Amino acid sequence: MIRVALGAASTSTRRLKIIIAALFQRPSSSVGVIIVILFAFLSIFGPALAPYGPNEQIAADARQSPSIKHWFGTDQLGRDVFSRVILGAREVLSLAGLGTLVAVFFGSFIGMLSGYFGGFLDEVIMRLFDSLLALPAMLLALLLLGTLGPSPGGLLIVISVVYTPIVARVVRSVVLRTKTKAFVDAARLQGESLGNILFREIFPSTLPVLAVEASLRFSYAIFLVSSLGFLGVGVQPPSPDWGLMVKESRAFVTQMPWAMYFPAGAIAVVVIGVNLAADGLRKALQDD
Amino acid sequence: MRDRLISRSTLTLGVFLITGSLLVGACATDSQEAPQGVLRVAMQPMVQTDPAFISSDSEILFANHVYDYLVDVDPKNNIVPRLATAWEISEDGLTYTFTLAEGVAFHDGTPFTAADVAWTFNRLRDDAIDAPTADLYDNILAVEAEGDLEVVFTLSALNPFFLFDLSDNHALILKAGTEDAATNFNGTGPFKVVNYSPEDRVELMANEDYFIAGQPKLSGVEIIFFNDDEASVDALRSGQIDLVMRMSASLFISLQDESDIVSIDIPTNGFDLIRLRSDRPPGDDPRIIQAMKLATDRQEIFELVQQGYGAEGRDSPIGPLYDEYYNEEYQIPERDVNAARALLADAGYPDGIELELHTPDTGGRPDLAAVLKDQWAEAGISIEIFVEPESIYYGENGWLEVNLGITGWGSRPVPQFYLDVMLECGAKWNESHFCDDEFDELSRIAGSTLNESDRIQAYKAIQELLIQRGPVIIPYYFAQFAGIHEQFQGFELKAFAGRTDFRNVSISSP
Repeated sequence: MIRVALGAASTSTRRLKIIIAALFQRPSSSVGVIIVILFAFLSIFGPALAPYGPNEQIAADARQSPSIKHWFGTDQLGRDVFSRVILGAREVLSLAGLGTLVAVFFGSFIGMLSGYFGGFLDEVIMRLFDSLLALPAMLLALLLLGTLGPSPGGLLIVISVVYTPIVARVVRSVVLRTKTKAFVDAARLQGESLGNILFREIFPSTLPVLAVEASLRFSYAIFLVSSLGFLGVGVQPPSPDWGLMVKESRAFVTQMPWAMYFPAGAIAVVVIGVNLAADGLRKALQDD
Repeated sequence: MRDRLISRSTLTLGVFLITGSLLVGACATDSQEAPQGVLRVAMQPMVQTDPAFISSDSEILFANHVYDYLVDVDPKNNIVPRLATAWEISEDGLTYTFTLAEGVAFHDGTPFTAADVAWTFNRLRDDAIDAPTADLYDNILAVEAEGDLEVVFTLSALNPFFLFDLSDNHALILKAGTEDAATNFNGTGPFKVVNYSPEDRVELMANEDYFIAGQPKLSGVEIIFFNDDEASVDALRSGQIDLVMRMSASLFISLQDESDIVSIDIPTNGFDLIRLRSDRPPGDDPRIIQAMKLATDRQEIFELVQQGYGAEGRDSPIGPLYDEYYNEEYQIPERDVNAARALLADAGYPDGIELELHTPDTGGRPDLAAVLKDQWAEAGISIEIFVEPESIYYGENGWLEVNLGITGWGSRPVPQFYLDVMLECGAKWNESHFCDDEFDELSRIAGSTLNESDRIQAYKAIQELLIQRGPVIIPYYFAQFAGIHEQFQGFELKAFAGRTDFRNVSISSP
């Protein structure tokens, strides 16, 4: 048994290595992965790297163009744009990442139950999700935030609610295919528990699709967080949220374009990076 | 025969020339007098439309053009006639008799009379409708119509600012007996309501029977609602809007390079204030607001938020444009973060205090909140900022409920208004719930004495009192900004944007 487990573990490690190697074989996906790693690094070590605090105002330096002292210049209140972009990475990525994780968790769970049991339960869950998906994501987010109020907790709930149905549908479709396979029947005939059938037999086959779906949702979640910040209903000032920074500096675009273009550029770069990485992951899993 | 022939051809020529010249003349007169062109104005959405309850610039701008005031205030803060053409004040200063304009009609065609004025002012001071003007007009004993064209106001006490009170934003004359003033827009004003789409726009057309000849010069005004100042300025740049009167200093600066837009700025008595409710914890301990005052750097706020437009504030609504009433003798204490911390500790907050700060999303208010957060953090005052659309902040009187808020107060021609409705104990818009007997007495003296030097002294004492223990922080008096497309003439921006008058605005190439 131990040998079998070790063998399985070494197979997984080997597969992972192959996938990582495949990710870096393609220039586009390697750029995407590097961007994601860079921003993940910034979000973890940002406070140590940022030369100034996110809300540290140096009145004498207000509205300064990029310089040695302030690499990305300063905004209307004398805040260092470089520091705010770095520190904003944690704000945006943690909210989008955590929201995506929650959506993936609930989406997988509900999708597996719905797909495995089918029948009335499947009908009810899918029609409910259909009705949620009928609303544009932004409209649903605005409706929820209008009720919950603008706060990081509210945003987390919004991302989870908006993306759970999408993840659930994807997982359900894989489960519908997998549950008719012979190894699932065999597990059932052996009298394995429902938990074992669902999570040890069926769940692993959803992982490749789930990984791609999760990374795509993550990039959409970054967009959603930034868009809601830009609309002023997401994270509240003076948070260094990139979307909020774009909103706050839009009025000053003729006076100090750097205050708007750097956070806007950060949103673009990270979303492109995550998309390239997700695309690379999809192709690597297909090759695998 | 010859005589007759000549006479007939001369007659024919004469008739032709006279008819032709009359036609040309008529055309010329038409082109001079007929209202033409539509002015599209960007404004925040309206919430209140009953003149008794209006408060925002958009609501007042709308009402100011659909209705008329009895007397008006010009851009130089002089009282000028509007529906009242003349007035007399009795020797004891307690009776005001107004003569009304003749031939004025409401938009529904019914004639305007003195009874309408009496009804309007009785409504505004009626406690039953709970209008904010009840305090302002509580010294009126009676308003009586004397015939159709004369109305008499009798006061219980002297009020040197009574004419200014009569030109208050809410004092628009309604038809006597109007049932639902929020939806029945039957005024005597220069424009009639064609269509009101809440949250979208209000369309007005020229009242061609307006009682002042030659006004209005525009055939219509469209007030288009924008929730976002940046979006309205973008719309001005792209030509979708002709006039924007609300914007931050930075947006105003961004308009300077636009060749087809005339940008205007004027100093005002308007201000943004930060206030803490003093009737419940933690503001019921005066040391908290004192700590906030000591933690605030007004000069830095003025430079960062207003970018040098307007004037630095002194925690009193009596600003520098009030000339002799404004007094700088009493110095505002220097910023002292340690003293602020010590006050907080004395008040039972040795580890600092956490508060929510609510602010409208207009003008420089969100920036003001961000600067305060940074300045106050040094003193241990931690704030969480909630930026709300103006219609939500002021809607349902939410602004009066929140503990700590930032409120913008538009410019008024005399400072007594602010004292009466914002700071006197129990006043309708006393958002800080401030109650101070000494202040009330000083305010009463300033608002009733006919002796100018006594009033100056009272205002001076009020400014000292407010700096020492007032419930508000006023970091700056803001400038009023506007941007208008160059084809419009006759536009004169008022310090209170909503009171800007479009009656004399015309367009050169509609």
